[in-house]
Amino acid sequence: MVPDFLTIAEAGALIAKRELSPVELVQSRLTRIERLDGKLNSFIRVLGDEAFAAARSAEAEIIAGRLRGPLHGIPIGLKDIYETKGIPTTGHSKVMIDHVPAQDATSVRRLTEAGAIVLGKLATHEFAFGGPSFDLPWPPARNPWDTSRFTGGSSSGTGAAVAAGLCLGGTGSDTGGSIRGPAAFCGLAGLKPSYGRISRAGILPLAFSLDHAGPMAWTAEDCAIMLQAMAGHDPADPASANRPVRDYRAALSGEVKGLRIGLIRHFYEIDNPANEVTQQGIANAVKVFEGLGCSVNELRLSPLADWAACGVMIMLAEGYAIHEATLRERFIDYGEAFRDRMALAALITGGDYVQAVRRRRELIAELGAAMTDLDLVITAAAPSEAPTFNSVSKFAILERPSLTMPFNVTGSPAMSVCCGYTLAGLPLAFQLAGKPFDEATVLRAAHAYERATPWRSIRPTLPPS
Amino acid sequence: MKTQSMTRGEVESALARAGLEIPEREKPEIAAAAHFIEEMAARLRRKREMGAEPAHIFPPPGE
Repeated sequence: MVPDFLTIAEAGALIAKRELSPVELVQSRLTRIERLDGKLNSFIRVLGDEAFAAARSAEAEIIAGRLRGPLHGIPIGLKDIYETKGIPTTGHSKVMIDHVPAQDATSVRRLTEAGAIVLGKLATHEFAFGGPSFDLPWPPARNPWDTSRFTGGSSSGTGAAVAAGLCLGGTGSDTGGSIRGPAAFCGLAGLKPSYGRISRAGILPLAFSLDHAGPMAWTAEDCAIMLQAMAGHDPADPASANRPVRDYRAALSGEVKGLRIGLIRHFYEIDNPANEVTQQGIANAVKVFEGLGCSVNELRLSPLADWAACGVMIMLAEGYAIHEATLRERFIDYGEAFRDRMALAALITGGDYVQAVRRRRELIAELGAAMTDLDLVITAAAPSEAPTFNSVSKFAILERPSLTMPFNVTGSPAMSVCCGYTLAGLPLAFQLAGKPFDEATVLRAAHAYERATPWRSIRPTLPPS
Repeated sequence: MKTQSMTRGEVESALARAGLEIPEREKPEIAAAAHFIEEMAARLRRKREMGAEPAHIFPPPGE
């Protein structure tokens, strides 16, 4: 009997010892999807036949002694902006409901070459921007910890599916927080790597200079395993970094003594005040890091509103350029959240955009200088636990400055890490960010924190559909 | 810094010039949110040297 919840690392070890068959594992996830996803709406397309075929092939290879690595036979989900050959990739939108790509996104190809098995396409905010929306071809994903609550977005389906154990890992994208937000609200580990670390080729874009692809999973170790497969130079992505890919899993030594961490307290105490339980969660996490031998000192940066304004203006201007022609022809075919938010971008002038990009250079330099004698920074990932659906307004992304956007502006690796639960059992999180292309230190710190705390042993209790 | 405030009519005219056919019910909601754009633009518009460069200046071709 396959357990309801398994990490990628756990399942990979069992598969390698031939104590778990990929076919059994896939069957267990598909049964789980059938039993639970009617309430969660995390998958918009389940690829049962394809997954079984891939699982049988994986099983045959493993029996023949050709284990590809820790992802071989592992069922994952793909946010439905990751193009999949011959399988619709819709952006969760009526506008692209019939779009069938001719080839896989580079990162999808790399994951399947590593042996991962695609269970299906996951719900997303419309084109990674418009949500939560109830006027799209499929309903929005619901939070497994409390289905009246928002998963966060835009990688909403990935957040729900991984938290509920419907797949062992999933892909997300992050333009202003769309991996870290759902990871925070769904109690996951969610990594936005450095800009250029993972190829954007074959992923439907929102904002070219802010989009990041990345993994979402139960643990930092699982994120490291997925990152290992996804990372690397890709000539098809002009922003792809031609830098060596480290062994991220090997870097999880468990040792963090001596790491120097800057605490950006004003972001979540003054600039976008987090609620008391979130602030306490971060304070407790700081104590854990100090207990592990890290030094944590307060760091002051420009106001969060500067970082947010810079990122949001760039995101809107670049997103509008992508969708402008279709918005003119088919405005009403987009969901209301997407179209009304994106309509505001028509008010941004070329001069406004360039001022934002000039501010971006200043902020990148500011964070770089601030981190000269630091290894990591820590701040909030979200101002609270997951809110209810009816408390998320259409222009919520503009009403308070984003806690996650600073690290899209700078392209730094940043990760959401679960740091406990409210009395009602809703996940809390903090955010770690590192120096460019130092995902290894971010993951090492997150992994050490997870091992020093009990949070990874707590899973949602899910009623059947 | 003084933030120029667009009227609802000005916002709707700008959106119409952009060629967006917005449902009547949504026009006042979008117009009411326009101040966010003005405020962010004003925040980003600060005194800079003429030569202050933006990010993403690409390297010379072939390099």
